Amino acid sequence: MVLFSEMFVSELIGIPVVDKLQEPVGEVRDIILSLGEKFPRVTGFLLKNPRGAVLLMGEIELVGKQFVVTRAIKSRIVYTDYTRLRPDEVRLVRHLMDKQIVDTEGARVIRVNDLKLAKVDQDIRLIAADVGFKGLLRRLGWLGFFTFIFRIFRREVPDALIGWDHVEQLKTDMAAGRITVPAKHISEMHPADIAAVISQVHTDEKTALFASLTDKTAAESLHELEPKIQALLLMTIDTKKALGILDKMPADEAADVLGDLPRENAEEFLRLMKPRKANKARGLLKHPDETAGGLMTTDFVVIPHNLTAQQVIEKMRAEAPEAETIYYIYFTDDQGKLMGVISLRDLIVAPPATLIDKIMVKDIITVDPETEQNKVAAIISKYNLVAVPVVDKENKIMGIITADDVIDFILPPISRRIRHLLG
Amino acid sequence: MRLPRFRRLWIFLLILGPGLIAAMAGNDAGGTATYSIVGARYGYHMLWMLLLVAVSLVVIQEMCARMGVVTGKGLSDLIREEFGVRWTFFAMAVLLVANIAVTISEFAGIAASLEIFGITRYLTVPFMAMLIWFLMTRGTYKGVERIFIAMCFVYVGYIFAGVLARPDWGLAARSMVVPSFQFDINFILVSIAMIGTTVTPWMQFYLQSSIVEKGIKLKQYKYQRWDVILGSVAAVIIAFFIIIACAAVLHPRGIVIHQAKEAAMALRPFAGNYATILFALGLFASSTLGASILPLSSSYAICEAFGWENGISKKFREAPIFFTLYTVLILIGAGVVLLPRMHLISILLFSQTANGILFPFILIFMLLLVNKPRLMGQYVNSKFNNFVAGATALVLIILTIILIVATIAGRVV
Repeated sequence: MVLFSEMFVSELIGIPVVDKLQEPVGEVRDIILSLGEKFPRVTGFLLKNPRGAVLLMGEIELVGKQFVVTRAIKSRIVYTDYTRLRPDEVRLVRHLMDKQIVDTEGARVIRVNDLKLAKVDQDIRLIAADVGFKGLLRRLGWLGFFTFIFRIFRREVPDALIGWDHVEQLKTDMAAGRITVPAKHISEMHPADIAAVISQVHTDEKTALFASLTDKTAAESLHELEPKIQALLLMTIDTKKALGILDKMPADEAADVLGDLPRENAEEFLRLMKPRKANKARGLLKHPDETAGGLMTTDFVVIPHNLTAQQVIEKMRAEAPEAETIYYIYFTDDQGKLMGVISLRDLIVAPPATLIDKIMVKDIITVDPETEQNKVAAIISKYNLVAVPVVDKENKIMGIITADDVIDFILPPISRRIRHLLG
Repeated sequence: MRLPRFRRLWIFLLILGPGLIAAMAGNDAGGTATYSIVGARYGYHMLWMLLLVAVSLVVIQEMCARMGVVTGKGLSDLIREEFGVRWTFFAMAVLLVANIAVTISEFAGIAASLEIFGITRYLTVPFMAMLIWFLMTRGTYKGVERIFIAMCFVYVGYIFAGVLARPDWGLAARSMVVPSFQFDINFILVSIAMIGTTVTPWMQFYLQSSIVEKGIKLKQYKYQRWDVILGSVAAVIIAFFIIIACAAVLHPRGIVIHQAKEAAMALRPFAGNYATILFALGLFASSTLGASILPLSSSYAICEAFGWENGISKKFREAPIFFTLYTVLILIGAGVVLLPRMHLISILLFSQTANGILFPFILIFMLLLVNKPRLMGQYVNSKFNNFVAGATALVLIILTIILIVATIAGRVV
């Protein structure tokens, strides 16, 4: 039987292990944990004795704050060799303590200051990571002193525990090349949050984490990252995977990402991508980033102007899945010249037989591909638009810029802001 | 045929940077002052030591860059992950003290450079402290940084000054190979300062995290290695000529440098009457550069080690410890310089001595890390690297002990 309530790993490390008769056996050097379950189970203790052997839980009678007591007497203890541990078993101190983990609920990367164990039924399980100030003080051995100081001011030492069910562990052992990104939790996060996490972890982990995502999630997260990291990720993952991800991105975002790669690599990707998307992306790449041309997307809905409202709605059903926004529908003549625009709302409330020509807005606000992005933002804001079309000199529609593209450069996502000014 | 070579050069130029900047930044206010004092007080006598320091600079910076590339982690991350909270606390305390000393010296450099123009430090230091704080937190620093780095090239003037001053090359060459040593507190102080200003604790943290940030892969490491080596060599060449110029111009006249203005005279053979202005500009630029980088780099290193939120683009509420630390460092740096009766040249010299005394602690952590096959795989240190780095740590420790003993003995007598 194991007598145990709640305990921190830092309190267990270094405490003596004794046999039934209180004869010293060694000291606790590390704790062996079997990963896989939501709250992983402790399977044994690695001892700091001349043999460096492992005591499996079956050999242990009691785990207390002062001692670990074995079930048998000293001469009859059965040790297990450390090298014979199963592949899913890790060492708490070596592989988890002080490492970075992902808090999937708060979508941030934090450092493990301590680990909390608790007795659940007959097992000892890892239940939480201590990432707070209290954990740091406990490790330093100053918790008592600081608790005293805080108490004078009638306060508690700030504490922060994250339940292990909300923790994603990044990587355990570098030499073994073992990368544990179960990605179950991570893939359930919002792509923008995933991007925030990717931007905070180390280079190798960035790649490992990114590669573990599905193409669709990866595509959405990639867009949220700062250009330097985007380039790094695309160039370090498998080319096939990279192509899959690029394929899932809208043409304008794909062009953005490719624009930040060295030219040779971008060309390589463009050659291998699906021809339709590659052509669109090539067209977009010609425009400088900070102009309307660089900002626009070519995935939008254009419909001939001489249809009825009903016909337009049907046509949209067929075409819309590709489009970035369908809130505005643009109408062109036979030469592709922009004739008018209508909002989805006006389209739906119009009687089905109405000719579009009659109800569309003909006085359209447009921008040139060379218009600077700040000006585009000003126009969108001034006229309260959801999107603005980009037209060439002959009034032919080239693409549209949506309000969220504009918001992205006015207020870059946190993950895209420069993390380090240095270097 | 020519294309691959051209491409290689291009890759090299892309990667060029962290090593060069880190090493050049070594020639900051404290560095310039220390090398000037070395030349002015001891002539060519300490050149042999510079030669040895050059070897340890190259070896240690290369070691540090290699660790960044192989592990993909910064030095403070590695210390935390491998040695736990207590040792991290110790290492960070050492780093903090050393960096506070350097930050103070950078503000002393700002004060000294502008006092040459006759502007009192009670105006310039608070103004520059506020300006730096503002530039950094508003994220407009990157653009300004280029200007400061460009201005630091004023120091290349020392190479011309050193040559034009007609130094005694024979004596200089002999001094480079024949060691001479004085058992005197000042000599030991200056020796520690010279080592401590060339290889500094903060530089290791800064260099490694810049390399990690750049995401340099093992394949590109050979280029990175050259960046680090060339950067170190360039830094030492400039240091060498500062010493030569001061030894040729100031030493014969018995000027031991009590004021920054006197150090400026060493540039006279090159810049004539403009020497003072040129010197002041260089000193101002390099000090401002250092005063901008150091508080920030220290805050990053410390927050990363303890897992506290960090990032200059965050809001105060998101990263309170980071911003508090950053602000307090600037306040201390600027504040100490403004204390009454502070002698700027002494601040500059002693801050470098403090760095030299503290550096072995960081170096020992680095040596332990870089020799772990679990972290470094086949890239663990060679015996030669271990010997050079170990000897550097040992020499600094021995010099520190001699200094302490000599100080106590001096007091008793």
